[in-house]
Amino acid sequence: MSESVLMRPAVLRSGQGKTRPEGDRSFLARGVIVLLGLALLATMLFSLTAGASDASVISVISALVRGASSDNNVLSLRDSIIIWDIRLPRIILGAMIGASLAVSGAVMQGLFRNPLADPGIVGVSAGAGLGAVSVIVLGGTVLAPFIATFSLFALPVAAFIGALVFTLILYAVATRRGQTSIATMLLAGIALGAMAMAYIGLLTFLADDRQLRDLTFWTLGSLAGSNWAKMATAGPFIVLALLVSPFLGRGLNALALGEASASHLGIPVQRFKRVAIIVVAAATGASVAVSGGIGFVGVVVPHLLRLVIGPDHRYLLPASALLGASLLLLADAVSRTIVAPSELPIGIVTAAVGAPFFLWILLRRRGIVDL
Amino acid sequence: MISLSDVSVVLGRKAIIKEASFNAQAGALTVIVGPNGSGKTTLMRALSGDLPFTGRITINGHSLGHLKPWQMAAMRAILPQSTSLSFPFTVREIVRLGLTSGRSGATHDVAENLPDEALALVDLAGFGGRFYQELSGGEQQRVQLARVLCQVWQPVLDGQPRFLFLDEPVSSLDIKHQLIIMQIAHAFATRGGGVIAILHDLNLTSMYADRVVVMHGGRIDSVGTPAEVLTDDRILRVYECALKVGALPDKHVPFVLPQSAVM
Repeated sequence: MSESVLMRPAVLRSGQGKTRPEGDRSFLARGVIVLLGLALLATMLFSLTAGASDASVISVISALVRGASSDNNVLSLRDSIIIWDIRLPRIILGAMIGASLAVSGAVMQGLFRNPLADPGIVGVSAGAGLGAVSVIVLGGTVLAPFIATFSLFALPVAAFIGALVFTLILYAVATRRGQTSIATMLLAGIALGAMAMAYIGLLTFLADDRQLRDLTFWTLGSLAGSNWAKMATAGPFIVLALLVSPFLGRGLNALALGEASASHLGIPVQRFKRVAIIVVAAATGASVAVSGGIGFVGVVVPHLLRLVIGPDHRYLLPASALLGASLLLLADAVSRTIVAPSELPIGIVTAAVGAPFFLWILLRRRGIVDL
Repeated sequence: MISLSDVSVVLGRKAIIKEASFNAQAGALTVIVGPNGSGKTTLMRALSGDLPFTGRITINGHSLGHLKPWQMAAMRAILPQSTSLSFPFTVREIVRLGLTSGRSGATHDVAENLPDEALALVDLAGFGGRFYQELSGGEQQRVQLARVLCQVWQPVLDGQPRFLFLDEPVSSLDIKHQLIIMQIAHAFATRGGGVIAILHDLNLTSMYADRVVVMHGGRIDSVGTPAEVLTDDRILRVYECALKVGALPDKHVPFVLPQSAVM
């Protein structure tokens, strides 16, 4: 035992130059966020021009800059309608839904301290779907007062409530003293999903022909039929959730150490968890209300980002929002061009890409954790 | 000062802590010893605000029940026995979490370098870029200590002493690092802060403790200096093990005491 080890000075020199300390990925993360922001802008512009009608990038940009009302002859009237009333709401709504799916996945994973938690996989989306389907089928009868109360917002509110109730049940079942068992969570998710599907099946059985058509898209997940009205009803929930999410970063980081340590660091854990659960439910509920079950965005996007910028939620959450928005827009572009002039429900595209990815995550983790 | 009076903790239907009373002074290293299951960790969890208890616990005169999490975070930091992570944080990112409460006491530009200084202090300089999950148990424990040190970097803030609660801080460490960690705790107390540590090693306890709290069956058996507390009778009664304090082994049996390292 040498003296030098024991006599280590209590405070070492500070200010060791401007080099980034090892293990500090915040600089990289900020750069990635800027790049993702630019990528999202490019993707939105690309989506605006891609489709059955071919308006050029330049004409679209100049139309956007001049505004809808100005009498420009850059775009034909037909293209103008396609862009302003069909593509633009679809793109903005698609970006919002992609962002909210990815953010709700990232928040849920942080909350459950578990990278496999995703609203789609653990049954929360199914709960939101149950709420939405209930309103569609029972809106004329049992739930008429609910519709009267919330009018245009009835669908997203019902989906929000469904998602909230299912998240709370899941949390109560899968979490003991702040620790979530991966196996219990996934199994509880299967049970909750099956339960929601049973009720949705029952409601489908009761539905009339018009309601059946409305219901079909829930099971597949689609951005078709996006319009400004849908955005006005679901948008506030999504915007609210996205605005609150950056404030969850610090707490989710602390929570990674466990609930007790998070509390010791000064986080009011119980209150924090309530806010996080409401954010997840609002984001998931609103997305499902508009687009049905679009799966795997919430698990794929945060996982990819953690590989690059690490799990620091202060950066992971905004980065997830941006990448989720871009990826969903790309998936939507694929879904509406791959079998043109018809279009594929986007949920098929995300599941076809996302499910194998999920299996890959499982394989990678198999050695690390005991499932 | 941390003060406990008549603190009892019931988990389920079982009384784990029964009417515990003692004071832990600032500027002193208070060590809690006792056999497995004597209630040491439960007592520390009650002190940390993790468990409901009856009786009264105060930190610097403030009753624990009236303090918000962020107020407590400014007064004390807690090293848990072990911490597992489910996300691939780097060592530096983990240590940086100690700055969450924003009350390290360091000035802003120093605070940015604090994680690196704290890592150097626990003999992990250069480990900042490693992944936490890839470290050994002993290294992980020291990373957590570095994080905890960041939280209360200045042992005294705004004239009020701050406290370190260490639950078996040296349990998975080699002898060199046991000494380094105890030295850090000792220095924290010397500079005006208070330390409460749970230890199993009676030699380290004797070497570093200013006060020893002996727990037995959920009760405080005795409180005093190491010389007062570590007696043959008490060790036999509490640990149910007939040991002789200060007895040397036979001449040909090698033995190594931590005491031989210092001064």
